[in-house]
Amino acid sequence: MKIGTRITAFSLRHYKLVTGLMAALAIAVLLGAALPSLHLIKPLPESVKNFSRSLSFLPSITVDTDPENMLSPDEPVRVFHDEMKKRMDLHDMIVVGVVNEHDPNGVFNPSSLGKIYELTRFARSLQFDEAGNTARREQRKDAGEPSVEGLAEPSGIPGLDAPAEPKNSAIREQPAAAKKPRGVIPNDVIGPSTVDSIEPRNGAIVFSWLMPTPPKTQAQANAIRAKALRVPFLNGTMVSEDGLAIALYLPITEKKLSYRVYRELQKKIATFGQGPEEFHITGLPVAEDTFGVEMFVQMAISAPAAMLVVFLLMLLFFRKLIVVVSPMIVAIVSVILTMGALVICGFPIHIMSSMIPIFIMPIAVLDSIHIISDFFEKYQATRDRKKTMLAVMDELFAPMLYTSLTSAAGFASLALTPIPPVQVFGLFVAAGIMFAWVLTITFIPAFVMFISPKRLENFGAVHKADDTNATPQGWLGKSLHWMGGATYRQAKPILAVAAVILVVAAYGISRININDNPVKWFAKSHPIRVADRVLNDHFGGTYMAYLVLEYTGGDGQEVFKRPDVLKWQSRLQRAIGTSGVVGKSNSLADIVKTVHRDLLAQNVDDPKIVEYYAIPNTTQAVAECLIQFESSHRPQDLGHFVTVSGADAYQTASMWVQLTSGDNKDMEKVVRATDKYLALHPAPVPLKTSWFGLTYINVTWQNKMVVGMLRAFAGSFLVVFLLMTILFRSALWGLLSMIPLTVTIVAIYGAVGLVGKDYDMPVAILSSLTLGLAVDFAIHFLVRARQMHERYGTWQATASHMFAEPARAISRNIIVIAAGFTPLLLAPLLPYRTVGFLLAAILIVSGAATLMLLPALIRIMEKRLFRQDSNAASAWCNCGLCLVAYITAVATVAMSLYSSFGWSVVTWVSIIGIATFVPFCWLISRRSKCRTLESYELHKEKMK
Amino acid sequence: MKTKSLIIVTLCAGIFALCAQAADKLTVGQIVEKANFTAYYQGANGRARVKMNIVDSQGRTRQREMTILRWDAPKPKQDENIPKNKEYFAGEQKFYVFFHKPADVDKMAFLVWKHLDKDDDRWLYLPNLDLVKRIAGSEKRTSFVGSDFFYEDISGRNIAYDKHELAETTKNYYILKSTPKEPKSVNFNYYKTWIHRKTFLVIKTEYYDQAGRAYRKYEAKAVKQIQGYWTVTKSRMTNLRTNRYTDVIYSTVKYDTGIPESVFSERYLRRPPTKYLEN
Repeated sequence: MKIGTRITAFSLRHYKLVTGLMAALAIAVLLGAALPSLHLIKPLPESVKNFSRSLSFLPSITVDTDPENMLSPDEPVRVFHDEMKKRMDLHDMIVVGVVNEHDPNGVFNPSSLGKIYELTRFARSLQFDEAGNTARREQRKDAGEPSVEGLAEPSGIPGLDAPAEPKNSAIREQPAAAKKPRGVIPNDVIGPSTVDSIEPRNGAIVFSWLMPTPPKTQAQANAIRAKALRVPFLNGTMVSEDGLAIALYLPITEKKLSYRVYRELQKKIATFGQGPEEFHITGLPVAEDTFGVEMFVQMAISAPAAMLVVFLLMLLFFRKLIVVVSPMIVAIVSVILTMGALVICGFPIHIMSSMIPIFIMPIAVLDSIHIISDFFEKYQATRDRKKTMLAVMDELFAPMLYTSLTSAAGFASLALTPIPPVQVFGLFVAAGIMFAWVLTITFIPAFVMFISPKRLENFGAVHKADDTNATPQGWLGKSLHWMGGATYRQAKPILAVAAVILVVAAYGISRININDNPVKWFAKSHPIRVADRVLNDHFGGTYMAYLVLEYTGGDGQEVFKRPDVLKWQSRLQRAIGTSGVVGKSNSLADIVKTVHRDLLAQNVDDPKIVEYYAIPNTTQAVAECLIQFESSHRPQDLGHFVTVSGADAYQTASMWVQLTSGDNKDMEKVVRATDKYLALHPAPVPLKTSWFGLTYINVTWQNKMVVGMLRAFAGSFLVVFLLMTILFRSALWGLLSMIPLTVTIVAIYGAVGLVGKDYDMPVAILSSLTLGLAVDFAIHFLVRARQMHERYGTWQATASHMFAEPARAISRNIIVIAAGFTPLLLAPLLPYRTVGFLLAAILIVSGAATLMLLPALIRIMEKRLFRQDSNAASAWCNCGLCLVAYITAVATVAMSLYSSFGWSVVTWVSIIGIATFVPFCWLISRRSKCRTLESYELHKEKMK
Repeated sequence: MKTKSLIIVTLCAGIFALCAQAADKLTVGQIVEKANFTAYYQGANGRARVKMNIVDSQGRTRQREMTILRWDAPKPKQDENIPKNKEYFAGEQKFYVFFHKPADVDKMAFLVWKHLDKDDDRWLYLPNLDLVKRIAGSEKRTSFVGSDFFYEDISGRNIAYDKHELAETTKNYYILKSTPKEPKSVNFNYYKTWIHRKTFLVIKTEYYDQAGRAYRKYEAKAVKQIQGYWTVTKSRMTNLRTNRYTDVIYSTVKYDTGIPESVFSERYLRRPPTKYLEN
């Protein structure tokens, strides 16, 4: 306690200095974080921008909205994903669906197709230069006169002049090949005007643009539909199977451009005016990128709104604006320091880190509320700011330190997850909690010194210090008083009910559904969700996953020209197609079959046309079909399905699997169906199968996150338990303090399982918040209970006091924070709603667990908990405690090392460690100074 | 006297300069005709062994190898439709393309009858599917066997399809700008051609899209005089949007081989004219 009192006394004495230092620090961090990024703000004067640019040694604010970064860049799945995208020349795609529900022919009418034609033309032109502006459209300057071997040597060629010297050498130096533009990749756009129709006509084979110009008559529109539907690659992918809708696929060079493309497309669509067509834009890149953009809008609204509600509620409880301001300052400064540190350290603001303020604010306010609540109760007894504050801090310093340490430990444990943004999130929230703690113990006392005693005259509960029988006032006081009585009288029934809840919750947990889908982060009414629903109703699915088949024979054989391999691939496709969520798949086998059919058929109505849709019988015949396909307008398409060049030509194939749902569990279902088929029907040649594509990547980080969160939670649970054991110097008390949070987590996740809510990213993250908040209440409750028990002797007497001020402080915290985050429920983005709702649930459940279970348990175990000798001065005098602490510490270390060192080594080391610690603990607890409390105190005096 | 001779000299010099200028001043039509002739019509017929390297944006390469035979319809002796001053006659042509590589399409053959007033006739022989297939002639701007060249680039785009204008004359080149008469039939807005003034070889062609950006580029990389004819022996077509390109290398080019017209028939698709395919 000494150190706490000293800090408080210092802050009270030098309150101006403390406040000034805090303000200076906050401003410095704010400037350090914001200044280097100011030049990005357009309307600012140039001088400010230049100054900002001169600070380029400091990192400027960067934003990372890519969920792919949930995995570190060197994660094998990502490396493979990028490598395969490159090898198959594939890109992430934006999908634009056009639906016309008013026309019996759907979009296949001249007007709708005209708009689709125009939109495709526009989409193909969407390229941006380095600065992000729309690329300059003017003609490139001619790069001087061409030179050519044979003409360039004047002496060797009689009668020929050497080409003229370039007029301008600067122009000459321009690179010959244009830089690859960023944006939509025009050549790979899939749309009616950019794809080929392949067709047998009067014995000839015809490759022609499906829709070179928009049709003028309905008959022409119908002809386009008929042509499109008979190309298997287009049917279900570009044209809906019912022939009513069209989807455009726009591959983009970088995923981060998708929101810009999305906005440009929306602008273009707006120029069409009101029409019978609906334009839907979707695809994972859009969903992910749009989420990122909306996230920041959201943060700008919901975080301040939450702050406001917290403020108003505190005002309601304490009725003194001037006092209530201080927790708000602590919270805001903590957020500034944390976010500022994040930016200055050069970390990007990610979906995860954008939630940091929301997590720090309640925890930052928490301690302040305890201080003010206590100050509120005690002030009228002395009417002296310094004395009251010293008394308050003396009581609260230890619990506040431990609550902050435990909360911080809970979040810091997220560093154990294998997901970089979650690690950053955890560590910075932990740092923020410690910032808040420092501010609370220094600034809050200092702030009180600024308030003139006059203004505090009416502040606080008016009652005498030793008025033990004071009747509780207000609805909160009354109900808490009643609750205190109940926990004493009905301890056993309360525990029985809790046990039942735990059993039910355990069943709920067993039914928990681990699933996430970035599209589902949007509310049901959001255009992206609507687009997703409509398009996946019409088409074979807009979620693309790619199954890679790599030949491992090593002899360079072009196996994907082999008829047996292609036939096997077709069968595999059929099997995957029956898994339920796969609407459509495209492969090399389909291409070969289509070309084969249209080579052999005389006309589209050839009676044998169905028979011709097959893989030919020799490798050479397959090769002929392929070279025929390459003689179309889009030869590059072949390379998306099989490697056609280089050393591994025709040895790696990718199959496009279209899923109608982006849910991870659905993707997993497809993976399982594939594995099952592969096990039963191996390929005729040795093939390695693997997956890539955004839909698949999401599955990977999701699984990593669940396991990672579990490990992080177990780790922080142990750390917190260790801290509690040390705080209370008793393993039993330590265990007791873990009960509310255990019950809360079991109950919350049980409810999540029972309700059928998917266990997704926000739900996973909340386990650490639960740990931090629930243990806070338990610490405050138990520390105060022990202090009071010492004073009042029996639990019966203590209980009624516990349910006065301490219980009130806890309840106020619950109410303020739970209500403070209700603005999140109005958020259009579902992860924020989930956080808001679960936060409230966590607070209520953990509050109830603290205020009901703990007193009930204390009542039952009173004798064991308050043993006379349990006050042994040193933690190391308790043999059992020593051992428990050691085992916990070992388990914690083991948890964190598990991934790198392997379980067995750590296990053996810890078992040997425990074996050696048994005699050590026995010896250390039987030292002479441990004999009695008095002798220890005497010993300590002597030492001084 | 002195004055007189001076005047004559000056006059002569003036006339000479004028004459020289006139000789150099070809009409756009003449330039186009001469370039077209140089590119596709030199000699009565010809043969070339052609290597094609298709290089994708990542530098991965694959090869095609073929022999191309060419036969030109002879210049009619007395045809009033052709004006006398038409020096560079460009009539109907027949092409026979026999594939050597990739190995699995060996013996695949391709026949074109190039017409001036109607769509070309094209046949493809696929030996392993045992199929002679007619290919619709209307689509000439599809890829030539997966390369960046179009069928039209191989057999020549009909000069009557575009409106040509002389954009610039530099020391060595006529730079033409050609705009399609039927813009909807092609996907370029216009193209520019660099024609070497002495040899009339097309050294560079750039195709521009609707936004005025060059998106496709042809370059002659090496030229040589063979049997007196200026010949492009190496050329490259680049897709500027994808940075993919195809190099074509002409080896063993031979003009006036005496190949008969009869070889350019469906019959010879199934039975390759070995005699004329070899060097």
